[in-house]
Amino acid sequence: MKTFPTLEVFDSLRQELRRGSLILAVLGQLRSEHYGYTLRKALADQGLAIEESTLYPLLRRLETQGLLTSEWREEERRNKRFYRLSDEGREVLKLLVAEWQGIDASLRTILKEE
Amino acid sequence: MNDLLERYLQAVGRYLPAKRREDTLAELRANLLAQVDDQAEERGRALTDAEVAALLKRHGTPILVAIRYLPQRSLIGPALFPFYWFTLRRGFPLVVLVYAIVQAMGAVMAESAVERMGEALLRFPSVALMFWTVVTLVFVGLEFALAAYPMRSSWGRNWDPMKLPPVSDEGKSPTFATRMADVIVTGLLWFWLLAVPFKPYLLLGPGLQYLRSMPAGLSPEWRIFYLQIVVLTLLQLVLKVAALLHWNRRWQRGLALVIEAVGVGALAVMVQARTYFVPSGDVSFAGRLASINSAVNLGFKVALAISVGKLLWDVARLWKGAGRYGALALQ
Repeated sequence: MKTFPTLEVFDSLRQELRRGSLILAVLGQLRSEHYGYTLRKALADQGLAIEESTLYPLLRRLETQGLLTSEWREEERRNKRFYRLSDEGREVLKLLVAEWQGIDASLRTILKEE
Repeated sequence: MNDLLERYLQAVGRYLPAKRREDTLAELRANLLAQVDDQAEERGRALTDAEVAALLKRHGTPILVAIRYLPQRSLIGPALFPFYWFTLRRGFPLVVLVYAIVQAMGAVMAESAVERMGEALLRFPSVALMFWTVVTLVFVGLEFALAAYPMRSSWGRNWDPMKLPPVSDEGKSPTFATRMADVIVTGLLWFWLLAVPFKPYLLLGPGLQYLRSMPAGLSPEWRIFYLQIVVLTLLQLVLKVAALLHWNRRWQRGLALVIEAVGVGALAVMVQARTYFVPSGDVSFAGRLASINSAVNLGFKVALAISVGKLLWDVARLWKGAGRYGALALQ
C-alpha cells in the first residue's frame, strides 16, 4: 500500500506532467471551433478530463498570447464564446507537436527497460 | 436556479478586475448554463436548487475561480527568489554581528551594562524586521525592473570555471600529530601558569623589579582573574586530550564555544572590578593610580566587546554548520 507522502509526491509530479500536455491537447482540439463547455467535453471524451476552473482561464491566457481567437455568437438562443486556433497558434502547435513527438520517442527508448 | 447562478457569478465578479469583469462573467455564465442544460437533459427534468448548488460547489469557491482569471503575479519571481533567499541567509548573520558589536561597545561604556544589553535584545526584532524589509523591497524593485526591461545581456553565462576558488580545507580534520602537539603546548602553558605565583618573573621578567619598586600593588581581583585563566586553560587541556582520543568536529566546536563563553565571563568580572592597582604606602601616588585603573578598565571593556562579538560569530557559524551537517545526515 502506498504511503501518504508517496501519493502526495506522485500527485504533484502528475500535475506537472499533465500541465504541458493539456496545453497541447487544448491547442490540438481547437483546430476546430469550440466553446468552453463543449471543448471540455470533447477532451474528456478522449480521456483527458480537465477542471473547468483550469480550462477557462487557460483559454483566456492562450488568447492573450495570440494562439487563439474568439468570437461571441448566438447558438441555441444563448450567447457563447467560441474559440479556435489562430494562424500563429497553428504555427506554434506544429512546433509543439514536433517537440512532443521527439520527447515521446526519447521517453519510449529510455523507458523500454521498465 | 437562475438566482443561485447569478449570486455565484456576482460573488466571482467581486474579485475580477472591472475591465474584463463583464466579458469573463458572460463566458462563465454560458459555460455553466450549458452544463446545467446537459445535466437537465440527462435527468429529463430541470435541476433543483440543490443540484445546481452541487454543480457550483464542484466548480469552485468564487474567489479561487476569479483568481485563476487574473494574471499570475509575484512580488519576487522564481528566477530572482534564490538570490533573494541567499542574500537573506548570508546577510542576517552579518547584521547580528554588527549589531552585537555596536551594542556590546555601547554596553561596556554605559553605566549599567546589563540594562543596556537588555534594551538591545528587545530592540533586535525591529532591526531584523528592518533588514528583511529593506532586502525584500530591493528585490521587489529588481523584479519590477527585470519585468519592465528584460535582461538581454549574457549575464549568468559569462563565467569561467577555471576561476573557481580551490577546495577549502575547512572540512578536513587535523592530523593526530597536530592534535598531539596542541595538547603538549596547552599542557606546558598550564604548568607555566601554575608556576607564575611562585616565580612571578616567569610572567613579568625584568619588569618585576620595577613593579616591586612602585608604591602600588595588585588588587585582589587579579587573583580571581588568575584562577579563572587557570581553570579555562585546564578545560582546554581536557578538551584537547578528548579530541586526541576521539575527534568529533561538532561537539568539539560546541565545547570550545562553552569555554569561549566562560572566557567572556572572566573578562566581564574584570570589567566590573574597576580597581586593579592599590597604593601600598605612598598615598600621593593614588591620583596616578586612579587614571591607570581607568585605562586598564577601558582596556578590559574593549577586550570584552571584541570577545562578545567573536563569541556571537562563532555561535552563528556553529549554528550554520549544524544545519549543513543535519542536511548531510539526512541524505
